Amino acid sequence: MGNHKIHKPLTRREMLGICKGGFGSLAFLSLFGGVSTACKQLSDPSSTLAQLAQTPNYMPKAKNVIFLYMDGGVSQVDSFDPKPRLEKENGEDPNKKFKVDATQFGNVGKILKSPWKFKQYGECGMPVSELFPHIATCVDDIALVRSMVSNFPEHTNANYFLHTGSGIQGRPSMGAWVTYGLGSENNNLPGYVVLDGGLIPPGGLDNFKSGFLPASYQASILKAGPVPLANITPQELVEGLQNQKLAFIKQMDNSLIGNLGHADAVESAISNYELAYKMQSSVPELTEFSSESDATQKLYGMQSDDPHTRSYGAQCLLARRLIERGVRFVEVTCPKVKADRWDQHGGLKDGHERNAHAVDQPIAGLLKDLKSRGLMEETLVIWTGEFGRTPFAQGSDGRDHNPSAFSMWMAGAGIKGGTIYGKTDDYGYRVIENEVSVHDIHATMLHLLGVNHERLTFRFGGRDIRLTDVHGHIVHDILA
Amino acid sequence: MMRLYNHFRIKDKHKKQARPTVIFCLIAFTLFRCGNEYSASIPEKVDFNFHVRPILVQKCYLCHGPDPSSREAGLRLDTFEGATALLEKGTRAIVPGHAEKSELVHRITHEDPDLRMPAIESNMELSEYEIAVLKKWIDQGTEWKPHWAFIAPDREAFQKVDNEEPIHQIDNFILDKIEQQGLEPAPQADKNALIRRVSYLLTGLPPTPEKINQFIADQSPDAYEKVVDHYLNSSAFGERWARHWMDVVRYAETKGHEFDYTIPGAWKYRDYLIRAFNEDVPYDLLVREHLAGDMMDSIRWNKETGFNESQLGTAFYAMGEGTHSPVDIRKDEADRIDNMIDVTTKTFQALTVSCARCHDHKFDPIPTADYYAMYGVMESSRFSQRPANLTFEKVENVTEIAAVSDALKNMVAGQWLKESTTVSTKVSAKSPKAPEIASHPGYEVMADFRNGDLDGWKSEGYAFGQQTTLGELIFDKKNKNLLKIADGKASSQQLTKGIYGALRSPNFTIDKNFIGVKAMGENATVRIIIDNFQLIQNPIYGELDKKINSKVWKNIKFNLSPWKGHKAYIEILPGTFKKHVYQLPENAFVDVEYVVAFEKEWPSLKNSSNAEITNVRQAIEDWANNKCSPQQVKTLNNLLNKKILSGHFPEANPLLKKKKLLAQHLVDSTFFMGISEGFGINSPVFNRGNHNDLSKEAVSRGFLSAITSENAPVVSTGSGRIELVDAILDPDNPLTSRVMVNRIWHHLFGRGIVETVDNFGLQGKLPTHPQLLDYLALRFQEDKWSIKKMIRHIVMTKAFKRSVSAGSRAQKIDPNNLWLSHFPVRRLESEAIRDGLLMVAGNFNPEMYGPPVPVHLTEFMQGRGRPGTSGPIDGDGKRSIYQEVRRNFMQPMMLIFDRPIPFSTFGKRNVTNVPAQSLILMNDPFVLQQAEIMAKDIISQNNKNIDTRLEYIYIKALGREPEQAELEQAKTFINTLAKSHDIKEDDVLDSLDVWKDYCHSVFNLKEFIYLI
Repeated sequence: MGNHKIHKPLTRREMLGICKGGFGSLAFLSLFGGVSTACKQLSDPSSTLAQLAQTPNYMPKAKNVIFLYMDGGVSQVDSFDPKPRLEKENGEDPNKKFKVDATQFGNVGKILKSPWKFKQYGECGMPVSELFPHIATCVDDIALVRSMVSNFPEHTNANYFLHTGSGIQGRPSMGAWVTYGLGSENNNLPGYVVLDGGLIPPGGLDNFKSGFLPASYQASILKAGPVPLANITPQELVEGLQNQKLAFIKQMDNSLIGNLGHADAVESAISNYELAYKMQSSVPELTEFSSESDATQKLYGMQSDDPHTRSYGAQCLLARRLIERGVRFVEVTCPKVKADRWDQHGGLKDGHERNAHAVDQPIAGLLKDLKSRGLMEETLVIWTGEFGRTPFAQGSDGRDHNPSAFSMWMAGAGIKGGTIYGKTDDYGYRVIENEVSVHDIHATMLHLLGVNHERLTFRFGGRDIRLTDVHGHIVHDILA
Repeated sequence: MMRLYNHFRIKDKHKKQARPTVIFCLIAFTLFRCGNEYSASIPEKVDFNFHVRPILVQKCYLCHGPDPSSREAGLRLDTFEGATALLEKGTRAIVPGHAEKSELVHRITHEDPDLRMPAIESNMELSEYEIAVLKKWIDQGTEWKPHWAFIAPDREAFQKVDNEEPIHQIDNFILDKIEQQGLEPAPQADKNALIRRVSYLLTGLPPTPEKINQFIADQSPDAYEKVVDHYLNSSAFGERWARHWMDVVRYAETKGHEFDYTIPGAWKYRDYLIRAFNEDVPYDLLVREHLAGDMMDSIRWNKETGFNESQLGTAFYAMGEGTHSPVDIRKDEADRIDNMIDVTTKTFQALTVSCARCHDHKFDPIPTADYYAMYGVMESSRFSQRPANLTFEKVENVTEIAAVSDALKNMVAGQWLKESTTVSTKVSAKSPKAPEIASHPGYEVMADFRNGDLDGWKSEGYAFGQQTTLGELIFDKKNKNLLKIADGKASSQQLTKGIYGALRSPNFTIDKNFIGVKAMGENATVRIIIDNFQLIQNPIYGELDKKINSKVWKNIKFNLSPWKGHKAYIEILPGTFKKHVYQLPENAFVDVEYVVAFEKEWPSLKNSSNAEITNVRQAIEDWANNKCSPQQVKTLNNLLNKKILSGHFPEANPLLKKKKLLAQHLVDSTFFMGISEGFGINSPVFNRGNHNDLSKEAVSRGFLSAITSENAPVVSTGSGRIELVDAILDPDNPLTSRVMVNRIWHHLFGRGIVETVDNFGLQGKLPTHPQLLDYLALRFQEDKWSIKKMIRHIVMTKAFKRSVSAGSRAQKIDPNNLWLSHFPVRRLESEAIRDGLLMVAGNFNPEMYGPPVPVHLTEFMQGRGRPGTSGPIDGDGKRSIYQEVRRNFMQPMMLIFDRPIPFSTFGKRNVTNVPAQSLILMNDPFVLQQAEIMAKDIISQNNKNIDTRLEYIYIKALGREPEQAELEQAKTFINTLAKSHDIKEDDVLDSLDVWKDYCHSVFNLKEFIYLI
């Protein structure tokens, strides 16, 4: 089996001991899910205690995840999966070449060659298109999966699926699962953060919710800017006034506790204020980039002429600062470029170029920066969209959704750089070798975090539900 | 007699134990939890349901349970037969009465870890306690009986205690447990705590200072009772309890997905719930209205407005998510129906039936066939807008119009019969026959409305009536002479324009490229509903919705070639859909002659026979009896034209006027989304839940085999929703009543008698007080399902009135307060916190009902479907239940304080503790705004005595007077605030800054958001 536990399970008595510690111990940690599974027990004391503190299940390779979400679906044949045959058969009828599935717009055009040239990079010789000249310089750190499939050709369902392992609304997001399983390492910051780069994916904030997991595990939505988080700014205009109010509140609350004699929940709510208070300074500090050198900011593209590159660069830098501070899971959403998300049903060339230009340099900067700081060894970086795009045109110059094949890559902790995994057919339309599902990516991600995806469960509606549902295989071939 | 599902069939010698007396007889019930080392000693008499089954379920059933697909070694431990059967090796897992001979015991105690059960891969272990329980159970004879929740409550046992006052009887059950555990009941809470508790739990609002003072001053013995009745009868009661119910039915006002389209009229269902709870509509009626409110034998009319209340219940079905352009439309239907099954079974039965979508339920006796039996019921029902302002008066009007029409016809017929004696009876020898559409191969007539009937289509609403226009009298608008009698067409304007109605075809499989509809109309629509999919729009589905705006006959053609092989029906109706919201302008109407399906060319029409018919007398009589043929009509019109039959009927005038007047009142203008009957379809089983892999045989529509009465009617025609609701409301149904009283208990005590309020199955928690639960379940039925009576019984008990202070023994042995020796400390729900803030601040707007207040949008709420404008920050001061519930733009404050995301049944909310909650109370502009409003109010009262001013704030916000020490602390704090704001001592009482900060601080006290 090979799943040696790192911690032996806590006994009920031990757990109660920790939980009764009141301020500063578990009750405090629990606010962002520290010793998370234990705290689930607190809110649901009668569920089986055997699960307690079973995570991590393995020696983890990664501590944190940065999830770079390419909202809308990047075209695989224009980015990481070159298909010379498209060039040859450009303009021909796809129906004569292969069976064409129903598409979102049903407006199937001719076979469409990629407007971009590919070149091989790095020692591994991975081909990358002209869209990503900067990321191309990092290919030796990247494991590329060309054989991704999704279950859904619609944005919203595919987004939910990618984020929660289920195509419908209401399931916990992977970031929530990760914090539920592993807790947060920083008690002054949320364990799961979404950096809102300007585009909230279709399906809305439900992509980032905790579903039936306790609300403690849902994402905090941060924006780069003066007010990074809702309600983070004290409204008191007079210096020290908020402190005075909080002191009074604490005084009154403590005497309430004194009268009640017992009330774990109320005690936890009191300590919650201490954390909220600290967040008022720890969160805005995150977006204070003055401590970052000019060279670093330049690396991230923050001095680019393209305002979207600058803005996405700031998000990537912020992501690094978050994981540096122990935030467990950071998702970065895309900036709002003129052509909307990566969803080029028309105007492929212009749209993909704008989107690529916005993210390419910042992502490469992030990878290089993580590497130079030694953070790459503990951070898993994931780059993916919710599905791919068709190798034939929608109309004349767009591409429709294609869930049957797309490319994604991972880099960082536990990843075998320079790998190419999986294969699509000559058109890049369908996977023909080593198909990888979204569940597989989740299983692999959890594995790298030291969590057995089959054992990270939560009882809801009569079932022990997993992020990977009843699916998921670890993609061992891309692991170092 | 309830039929027990196979798995629960009991061997003859065990039959005696199988009857339902078990729960009440159960005395030696020890609370049991898996893996619980410090648990009590092994019970003297091991009870199968309370001691043994939880072990089997948790540790054995994944591999040895009801689902054959995951069963190992051919052994099943979910039935007595399975557990005692001869195994391949010649052994038996269980030999009743002989633990030492039982293979199961050998295996669970095996020394070799590779052979020991549960298998090592399962990562589960049996504790010493569990092993001992299993052994003892086998030794004691291996009692076997159905899961407790499937055994109906014992009426005999109920009758024995029924002479006791319910309030006392409930207390007796609670006290028994408290004493068994050696606990001391806590004293009664003080009056302040009590009235705050009752007020918040019954109405979701804090008590007013007046009400508190009145209660404190009232020394009469029934003072508490008066308070209880006051809140039970307050209109805020319905607002509180409707919101509880909305969690269960996944209430939302939009469909989520990409663009978050509106669910039309969802809020009317919300208002329906509020009225229903306030009027104490019996729960069984509420259930019936939810599941079949469109088919009531006796409609419940709103006493004030006269509107049909019953039908509003069916909005329950329409609360799910909606996808506008699913590429796989059949899968979308399967997901939608899955959600309906999931919510229906959790809500009313606390069973997780949707677990059986892909395989037989792993734990409960719910085979996949049951799931698809229900699937057929849902698939046979059709989502439909329904007119919300349908009144009893309108129904009467329709009847009256029909009577007037008959009178007119009779009048004309009477005259004509006299005249017809002069007409030759031998006009022609041909028999009456309908006109025909050329029937080539490749054509199929879907409907021909030129005859008198609607050709098997369903006519909903009043617009189309139940007949075509064939034979209707048409009078000259000016001189009021009879012009002619009408040819046949389906028409929505038989009464007048602007009346709601929909004409829907039976289901068919699309096998031709085109469908053609010959129609005319104004602001009318024809839709092809494929796989029950209604969010019709581009891309993909734009073709399926066509508008009609033509005063002459028009051929409307649908190209359905992309959907060949799909199930579909045709829907024709006046009115149009705008962003999926149905609208019916006053001038809207549609007439239809026929509908055809064809492969290439629209078929040409054969001329209808010129032949006239033989018997004029017969024609007149048939016509008067609404039975005439088109030829007869033609004959009569010819005779009318030739003036052989007269057209002058001055007596018709007043009748025509009356008809017109009556019809004017029928116009429909507001709608909600509900459900209506389609045509019965049985569904095949989707193998492994895959809609592309179907079983050969379809499953008959029906409900759960484990709890359906043996003599329950079989679904024949219709969707089966009537039979579904009958099964749920069958007096022998063991779940319906228990589930609802448990929900009520949960809302009052913060935890149900069964903690898993939405799951009474084998994976759910066991009841802490089984006898009490059964007592309440039967009491509820005796009380004619009165929710208010049930609540009243419970809140009148001593158990409910106890203080929150736990004794030292309770703290030690019952930290979770399972035995209710004291009242639990509870945090208020998101709505109660917000509503409480508004009320305390004096910014409360008591206006009830109506369209939702648009959600206030912050810059953190982005994404597709974002409304163009933001709602007011304080939601106009209206209660939280009236604030918009947009799936993709939920109010952050509601979510952060644990309102569930509306996707499934949530009878039990999480109670979390996250910094965002503190941040809201500390920094959210809404909270600060309320503090300011309250401060202004306080200052304006111009009370110069700071002590009484503080007392006023305390009683308003916390429901009690401050203690002396608290007064002093408050005054010190106020001085500190004054200094910070640079306010002179004399000006403190008038300083908005100071009092705003003080009120804001009070809002942040834990006592403000907790029930203490």
